[in-house]
Amino acid sequence: MKVVIIDYGMGNIQSIQGALKYIGVDEILVSNQESKISKADKIILPGVGSFTKAMQNIKNLGLDKILKTEVMVNKKPILGICLGMQLMTKNSTEDGFNLGLNFIDGSVDKFNFNNIKIPHVGFNQVSFNNQSKLYKDLVEPCDFYFTHSYKVDINSDVTNINLSTCDYGDNFLASYEFENIAAVQFHPELSQTNGLQLLNNFMKNF
Amino acid sequence: MLRKRIIFTLIYDSGFFNQSRNFRLQKVGNIKWLEKNYKFNEIAFSLDELIVLNASKENKNMLEFANNLTKLVHNVFIPVAAGGGIRTLEDAKLLFDSGADKIVLNTVLFTNTNLVKDLVKLYGSQSIIASIDYKKINDKNRVFVKNGTDELDIDLSEYINKVISLEIGEIYLNSINRDGTGFGYDLDIMEGISKNINIPVIIAGGAGNEEHLAQGLKIETVSAVATANLFNFIGDGLTKAKKILIQSNFNVTQWR
Repeated sequence: MKVVIIDYGMGNIQSIQGALKYIGVDEILVSNQESKISKADKIILPGVGSFTKAMQNIKNLGLDKILKTEVMVNKKPILGICLGMQLMTKNSTEDGFNLGLNFIDGSVDKFNFNNIKIPHVGFNQVSFNNQSKLYKDLVEPCDFYFTHSYKVDINSDVTNINLSTCDYGDNFLASYEFENIAAVQFHPELSQTNGLQLLNNFMKNF
Repeated sequence: MLRKRIIFTLIYDSGFFNQSRNFRLQKVGNIKWLEKNYKFNEIAFSLDELIVLNASKENKNMLEFANNLTKLVHNVFIPVAAGGGIRTLEDAKLLFDSGADKIVLNTVLFTNTNLVKDLVKLYGSQSIIASIDYKKINDKNRVFVKNGTDELDIDLSEYINKVISLEIGEIYLNSINRDGTGFGYDLDIMEGISKNINIPVIIAGGAGNEEHLAQGLKIETVSAVATANLFNFIGDGLTKAKKILIQSNFNVTQWR
């Protein structure tokens, strides 16, 4: 199995690399080159930081077109992590209004619940259903590490999508699974055994 | 429901990990010693987060620190924050590239707020922990920077508000009086300041046993408790402390 971690200059790729190596992925590439991305079996889109800056970097590297071909045309499995989950939606209100990769009909907004501290930092429990491919063999309550101020909302018109939620002031989206696309708001690579199992599930079930 | 966190802080100085007492450092061992006595990939199951601070008082060799960080976090799958001596964007990048998921800023919060703003813009608020060292003098909490050597002419709660306005993600409040004593946290610290704080607060300084961790976790406005006490939590000390806290129904992570 060949996995490519998309490198667009944002976020700690080291821990993801370490986790993939730990679960036994044979070949891990870190790249933004079309030739390497097209040869990989699976794609990981990581990311920490600002949505705007991330989209700028992605466009400057031509990654928006490369990823669109791989994900939307070739239907290659992709896992978005944290900002990576947000980047695959239509748009975000971070720094005004910015367009995303538009792989999934959703949008990104800042937490607007009452009486919560922002960013949402730490381990929190995710509620999922048994049709989920990402959480296979995991048992609730299942702790994952979150660190974010913005959250994704999926358009209610989207069907055949599997969603999981987390409670922070109110329910918000912890992950989505749609055809070849999977995305998590938390960091599996920083979530001990639960995270390693989830990464393994992505490798096996997508 | 969001869990409260238990954080272990490692104090690094020129190739060695240290026990700190009121900010005076005592060398304990190098990375080999640490691996032998603390096996972080195992002990990580009792921890929610690791913070590694370069507390070298003279020349902070960032490259050597970064190398040690990389070795330390190998096969550790919890969040790792690192800092101490970050003065430039390059310093921050080096630590992120060496395995840090977040960075810890202290002196630059006072001396170079532009750098802090740039780092927030580049890496996002959630990647930045603001570390604030304070000491109680004549019943007033005073702020210190530069490894606790320089006293600032500003009250702690006012300083906290200033730091929050820089849009950092978390605050790490470290009591210099309590540091390394094992006498327990400064439990009054959140009174008078907590109302202003809408970001997570980590308290540090003084924890010597699981009862102290419990006292800290009980404070509603505290998001996480940290300990840097290498001696009191050596071997399976942390594992045992965590077990007791879970048995006492504290809202902390449980790993299977």
